[in-house]
Amino acid sequence: MKSALLIAVVLLAAASIPLYAGSYPVSFLVQTFIFIGLAYSWNLIGGYAGYTHFGQVTFFGLGAYVGAISIGNGVPWLWATLLAALFAAVCAALLGGIMLRLKGPFFAIGMFGIARVCESLALGLDNITQGGTGLYLTAVDLERVYYAAGAVVLILLIATWRLDSSRLGLQLLSIREDETAAAALGVRTTRLKIGTFIASAFMPGALGSLYACYLGYIDPTTAFAPMTELTVIAMVLLGGMGTVLGPLVGALALSVVNEVLWARLPEIYLALVGVIILIAVLFMPRGIVNFAQRRAWSWVPTPRGHLRRLAERRGKVNPPPKRFARPAQGGNAGGPAEPDPRRP
Amino acid sequence: MMQEDVLVVEDVRKSFGGRVALDGASLRIARGSITGVIGPNGSGKSTLFNIVAGTLPPDAGRVLFDGKDLAHTSPAEICRRGLGRTFQISRLFSELTVLENLVVVAHGLSDADAVQRALELLDFLEISALRDKWGAELSYGQRKLVEIARALMLAPRVMLLDEPFAGINPRLQNRIVEHLQALRTQGLTLFFIDHEMRIVLEICDDLYVLAEGQVIAHGDAAAIRADERVKEAYF
Amino acid sequence: MPFVELFIAGILLGGLYALMACGLNLVFGVMRVINFAHGDLLAVGALTTVSLVAGMHLPYIAALILVPLLTAAIGLLMQWLVIRRIADGPMIMSLLATFALSTIIVNISILIWGGGYRGLPTVLGGSIAVAGLDIPLSRLVSFLVAMAATLGVWWFLQATRYGKAIRSVSQAPELAVISGISINQVRNVTFALGAAMAGLAGVLLAPTFASDPQLGARFGIKAFAVIIVGGMGSYPGAMLAALMMGVLEVFAGYLYGQVLGSATVFLAMLVVLVFRPRGIFGMGARA
Repeated sequence: MKSALLIAVVLLAAASIPLYAGSYPVSFLVQTFIFIGLAYSWNLIGGYAGYTHFGQVTFFGLGAYVGAISIGNGVPWLWATLLAALFAAVCAALLGGIMLRLKGPFFAIGMFGIARVCESLALGLDNITQGGTGLYLTAVDLERVYYAAGAVVLILLIATWRLDSSRLGLQLLSIREDETAAAALGVRTTRLKIGTFIASAFMPGALGSLYACYLGYIDPTTAFAPMTELTVIAMVLLGGMGTVLGPLVGALALSVVNEVLWARLPEIYLALVGVIILIAVLFMPRGIVNFAQRRAWSWVPTPRGHLRRLAERRGKVNPPPKRFARPAQGGNAGGPAEPDPRRP
Repeated sequence: MMQEDVLVVEDVRKSFGGRVALDGASLRIARGSITGVIGPNGSGKSTLFNIVAGTLPPDAGRVLFDGKDLAHTSPAEICRRGLGRTFQISRLFSELTVLENLVVVAHGLSDADAVQRALELLDFLEISALRDKWGAELSYGQRKLVEIARALMLAPRVMLLDEPFAGINPRLQNRIVEHLQALRTQGLTLFFIDHEMRIVLEICDDLYVLAEGQVIAHGDAAAIRADERVKEAYF
Repeated sequence: MPFVELFIAGILLGGLYALMACGLNLVFGVMRVINFAHGDLLAVGALTTVSLVAGMHLPYIAALILVPLLTAAIGLLMQWLVIRRIADGPMIMSLLATFALSTIIVNISILIWGGGYRGLPTVLGGSIAVAGLDIPLSRLVSFLVAMAATLGVWWFLQATRYGKAIRSVSQAPELAVISGISINQVRNVTFALGAAMAGLAGVLLAPTFASDPQLGARFGIKAFAVIIVGGMGSYPGAMLAALMMGVLEVFAGYLYGQVLGSATVFLAMLVVLVFRPRGIFGMGARA
């Protein structure tokens, strides 16, 4: 009850900000929303399925260009955004089958390579993309982009929350923990990996388009910046991979740090982000939220508590012992009809 | 091929690089039996196991499960057809709890049913206290038991056990033997490899001895004990 | 199409790639660490060269000796502070850590040298006639020195006792320990050597190309592509692949423009990853 109230208050506050705040805070929030969205998306493939990679910005950049080009051709910006998301998802579907066959670091570097190829294509195919000059488009109203980005974040939050409490979520984690064992135990790993990869590309496509709308401009460096990639990964790493709150915690923390540092120490804030990632990798490789959960700090909800709660309830009732093996096919199964006593 | 054989391995061969691991091994596992495969190190036991479970494709020969060829079937699919397995080096999901380790493989069951089944299995193996422990926290013997529980979650018809008795104390070994025998009376077919001669000779209905990639002996415990070739290969 | 000229140009470029790639590969082979910051050591090497030669008027030879020592020291610092703590963990963590280190180095480089380009037009200018072709002197020299260094390190690994110790750590660490080899020392030396090779590549690159702090990102990624094509963990594979990729890039650049020419290198990497992940000589890469 308390948490529901808290959530409602936060949502209301967030929804009302554009009404009274100036354009700078709203701008900041738009950028933060975009990062939160990217973080949640990366969390799906990197945090849950365990297929970390350095190429998510591919889908962001592709989305940005598809969105910008569509708007340039008269498509209304919301539809352009949807188109961008679909385009990114289709690209992921095509790439996934090939790339996901690679082992961890090769997959990661391969995706990085793909991002570089896309950046080069954006630079080189200048009859479509205007190359290095970049594409200009009429900027969309800041408030509208705010609500659109906010909606994306909300959808991702809810989706992640639902995923975390689901069998699907557990299966993704099993792939992360030990893919061979999971496959040997009946988890349909290929299907799940590709599906998750596509899901992790869809929203970044939309967010790319929204970013283009927000800036009124897009060019290859902005669309496919390795810094964006690094920042997103840092956020999820710092916050906690494979958790519901992790990307939010990480994104908020880093966005604030970025904002403060960029204002005060613009020369070294890049280096400081690097230092933060190093600290996270060395001392808290599983991130803040996981760290807290393992130590069962009181303010952090138990991860995936739904199964535990089910078990608590079941434990109260004492069911009769059951058979644990299916009788073999082909008629008469060996053995008595009643279950065996459980104690020798 | 007789109807009572749930698993048939026909003349399977496998090489790695230049090294021959299996050189024409054939086995038949009867329904409802406890069948063991023993052999010195390097005899090809693990390779055979992995081929039956579908994680390795054979170079030649085939494996039939309930009369159907397992060629080109993924391990996930083989598992769903009713073949469950444990791993020699425990492969529990470390960042999941024991309960989650069990529920995650309960394909087709609702969460409530899966939890129910998991609790019953934990109870059956007398490890209910481990329910909420993380996979990474368990001791070696506890892992073995959870592995067995996890394989049983699949409600398999045949269980492949990869060295289930290795490295655990005799008291726990006996407990596992009792559980396995109880399962056999419920109709489960058990097929395992191990080094623990004492147990293997004691509980198996049928034994195969592998050496250098071939089956050198087959029969019940008494026959194997007396076999000259076995003594030569092993001792 | 001026086939021979392009081919020569490609080989010359490939020599530099070989030096870079072999250094990266060496570290990977011994420590199973993919050093994302390798390219940035190249950039630091190049920029330091510019400072020493154009700024402090030291002879180029001095840079050839001093700069690799500097980058080796930086490499040792990285190893001591970060790498040794994560080298035994999952590869993805060391990737992330070196990715972060790369950012830090780039930023510090920007602080020291500013974000713009610097050149060394006065060093090794002009061209030399070889077999009827006009070859830029700087490229020829950089190729010769790069190949000499690359082959020299290879000889070191194959023929000397310490070199064999390094190879044994890369192939069978448990056995190496038993033979009394100090794994930590070997790792330190290897990382420093790799860093020195990157620095040397930077020195050789400075007269030919314009240097800036972001050079590392562009060049370093190509080194990755090279070792993936050649096969991770294979020294001769990296050398051959480097020469091939140099030629590929130059030809593609001639046909499609410089930008897409660069992209060809990555495309080659992707093609290899998909169809033969092992590379020409390397270890497995399939899931």
